[in-house]
Amino acid sequence: MMRAQSTPVRRYAATGSLAMLWALPVILTLAYVLPFAGVTLWSVTRPELGLQNYVRIFTGADFQAIFFRTAWVCLVSTAITIPIAYLLAYYWVMGSGRRSRLVEICIFIPFWISVLVRAFGWVVILRNNGLASDVANAFGLGGLSTGRNVWSVITGMVHFMVPFAVLPMASVMRKIDRRVLLAALGLGCRPLGVFWRIYLPMSLPGVFSALAMTFIFSLGFFVTPMILGGGRVVLTAETVFVQMFQTANWGLGAALGVVLLVAVFAILWLSQRVMRIEQLMSR
Amino acid sequence: MQRAIKHPDPRPRAESNIVPMAGSDPVRHPNSVAAEVRNLRKTYNAGTPHAHEALKDVDLSIRANEFFTLLGPSGCGKTTLLRILGGFEMLTSGTCRIFGEDVSRLPPEARPVNTVFQQYALFPHMTVRRNIAFGLEMLGKPRAEVESTVERMLDLVHMTDYADRRPDTMSGGQRQRVALARALAPQPKLLLLDEPLSALDLKLRQKMRLELKSLQRETGITFIFVTHDQEEALAMSDRVAVISNGHLQQVGTPEDIYEQPQSRFVADFIGESNLIEAKVAGVTGGEASLDIEGFGKVHAPVAERVEDGQKVWLSIRPERLVLGSGDGQERAKVTDRTYLGNAVEYHLHVGEHALTARSPRGGLRGRQDFAPGDVVSVGFEPGSIKVLLS
Amino acid sequence: MFGKSRLGGFLAGASGLFLLLPLVAVIPFSFTAKRFLSMPDGEYSLRHYVAIFDPDTWLASIGTSTLVALLSSVIATALAAAFGIGIWLRRPASGRFLIGLVLLPIIVPPVTSAVALYFLLAQIGLLDTVPGLVLSHVVMIVPFAVIAILGALSRLDRNLELAARNLGASQMQSIIMVILPNIRFGLFAAWFVSLVMSWEESSVTLFVSGVNVITLPKRIWDNLRLDLDPAVAAISVIMILATTLVILLRKSET
Ligand SMILES: Nc1ncnc2c1ncn2[C@@H]1O[C@H](COP(=O)(O)OP(=O)(O)OP(=O)(O)O)[C@@H](O)[C@H]1O
Ligand SMILES: [Mg+2]
Repeated sequence: MMRAQSTPVRRYAATGSLAMLWALPVILTLAYVLPFAGVTLWSVTRPELGLQNYVRIFTGADFQAIFFRTAWVCLVSTAITIPIAYLLAYYWVMGSGRRSRLVEICIFIPFWISVLVRAFGWVVILRNNGLASDVANAFGLGGLSTGRNVWSVITGMVHFMVPFAVLPMASVMRKIDRRVLLAALGLGCRPLGVFWRIYLPMSLPGVFSALAMTFIFSLGFFVTPMILGGGRVVLTAETVFVQMFQTANWGLGAALGVVLLVAVFAILWLSQRVMRIEQLMSR
Repeated sequence: MQRAIKHPDPRPRAESNIVPMAGSDPVRHPNSVAAEVRNLRKTYNAGTPHAHEALKDVDLSIRANEFFTLLGPSGCGKTTLLRILGGFEMLTSGTCRIFGEDVSRLPPEARPVNTVFQQYALFPHMTVRRNIAFGLEMLGKPRAEVESTVERMLDLVHMTDYADRRPDTMSGGQRQRVALARALAPQPKLLLLDEPLSALDLKLRQKMRLELKSLQRETGITFIFVTHDQEEALAMSDRVAVISNGHLQQVGTPEDIYEQPQSRFVADFIGESNLIEAKVAGVTGGEASLDIEGFGKVHAPVAERVEDGQKVWLSIRPERLVLGSGDGQERAKVTDRTYLGNAVEYHLHVGEHALTARSPRGGLRGRQDFAPGDVVSVGFEPGSIKVLLS
Repeated sequence: MFGKSRLGGFLAGASGLFLLLPLVAVIPFSFTAKRFLSMPDGEYSLRHYVAIFDPDTWLASIGTSTLVALLSSVIATALAAAFGIGIWLRRPASGRFLIGLVLLPIIVPPVTSAVALYFLLAQIGLLDTVPGLVLSHVVMIVPFAVIAILGALSRLDRNLELAARNLGASQMQSIIMVILPNIRFGLFAAWFVSLVMSWEESSVTLFVSGVNVITLPKRIWDNLRLDLDPAVAAISVIMILATTLVILLRKSET
């Protein structure tokens, strides 16, 4: 019995699909990944060679205050966003037809509208002598502090992130087999018990995805905080903008960008055990 | 590995049975080989920790104008072999020829081969007519010819009334016919069919079996048909190849495969068999005396050389066991009786061995009925014992 | 499912209102007769809607944004389609890695992306130009297009391509005649999402343009930061109405 020499035969040439496959990754590598290397280079060469920018970032009291404030604002906004988004996702997926449609509209109109327009809406409501203070005054609650403060920033960020957080939760909830819930009811579990003991645990993967996503989004975000904080509530991402364009401190801005990136990847890495990247993206 | 071409086709097709396809002659390639694979190996993900040998040294040749079936359990490599013939998968080593031409490196569009896919794979954005025309258009046929061929194909599969419907508005059987027409329209020399009937219900499946078979006769195109349903394989094929775990087990006519299994696997996989271990206790002429522990001696013809004391396997079909009582030879005990409608099945204990016997219902051939607990004698119809070495 | 929970229903309703509140709140402000941002004191006017048509400011920015959004969404969709089909056809071992690579711009903080793109455009001298802006937008929106197209492809029967090849179509022919027609809705979705994302892109835009090339978000940003022109309210109202209309129309279709 002769055996042919085991020469591995390559797939027949299909250069067309090979070029199609690689066009985008190559472009992104050149136009996105390589510039990161350049940015990292800036961060250790401007204004002069050395790690002084990083030293400054990690030891300067001003930066520590900014980091601390950023972490605090992001945690609080995430903590507020998640329950609101869970509630909406629940009614979107499980609600009766009309209610589900209403919820869907409430989620998707803001989702598609520019973050600037949404921030502007909150400016109108929250600024000094804006709508909110008018209402407060009408109820005799004069002196309610509104305007450019940390709570305005948090309100705007929550408003920005709720629609995003709804999507991964809803996609997980949609996969929950309703017969499992009926089975639990049939086994004598009370409705609230079914929710706590069956539905909530089954929807947790979506909650984890939403958590990581919300936190990551809020870290790198500067448009809403800059408009609603008005320079009084300075967060990390905003500092990058300020360092680059207002104080022309490119090295420091670049170093901050790198630090943010590392922070995001650290969070992703930590949360990898409970979620997969696709879940983060799918709706 | 010479088995592949050992059995000449014992049933040459009566030429008078062939109804030529309207308007064109059936493709005839007398005595030529349609497809041939030699020393074929396929390893998926070679060189990675997930490497998987799906085909191991397969030799096979398929004659022109033949209805050839690849039969085997799930995961044995049938689809892999078909995809290699179709050019969708590259072989790892060996050769693959279609009508004499080495196609190992040809892309699928350059092979004279078409495929009917398991889930049909009809183009959902095209009407039935456009689906059938696709292959002809790819060949650059003139418009008039495309149209007339499409009409002929629609007629052939009885789908003329559905020509302008889209696939998603049709039933499984209708889609099946369209898929067939689409694959046949460009007149391939070889048609590959991967479990084309598995999505249909039983009645339709039986009807399509006949239609497929007669379509093959009419067109004269060589069919390579994949199935894991042995009944389908026996009913439709001119020849069958049994594959297990990437190995070619046996090739032959349906009768050969059923009556003359050459391995335990084939005996067990095709129909049902009692497999009993035995020892050779002497050979005279072409016949061996075989010792079954706890039962006694039986005699059976052996084709290959065996030696005294060698361990072999005996295969006996359940319907060829003869049960009886009152002749003093009772050695088996009935443990269970199952009523099957057209037959009765008895489960027996003979010494250490568990056997199954089946007898036609209604006292046919004067057979008696037995109840669990009865002690009976067991005999074998002449020529029913098949000696297997592997 | 879990009985009727009044509290849950109430809270969900409140959350929905919270999401719509800022969008509704801007409406009255757009009709003020005053020059500055305020509630109309019984006097209504459309002057701020008229102001949008000033060809030197708002209209120019709308034009720029439209141009950039059209160009970058078409380029992003084409690149994403090629990439998605390439992955789908070849299923390369590096597939997961490549998908991760092209989705990177969604995961990386926008401000870091902005710094990187600023660096790139500074190096190649395209800062504050339309081509530079289109390039940055393509990078930022292409992941959304990729997600839409991969989603559409994942629902496509692989055998369709094999059947086409088998019937004599070359790889390119099968892409054009079989694959593309069957993912047309995914292509449209990818294009539409990238169009909207590019039209609204603000973080990178603020870094890489702003003097010669002023998109609509950049102009809104300047107004929000400086003097709160009521024209912003008028623009917002138009965008909100358009979005709402599109969503309601799509809902009523299905
Ligand atoms: N693309 C692939 N990559 C890795 N392994 C594969 C691939 N395709 C098939 N296999 C493996 O090769 C073996 C043979 O597969 P194949 O599809 O040929 O089986 P089959 O006989 O057609 O089975 P079935 O009757 O279930 O269709 C299986 O074990 C399968 O898991
Ligand atoms: Mg198969």
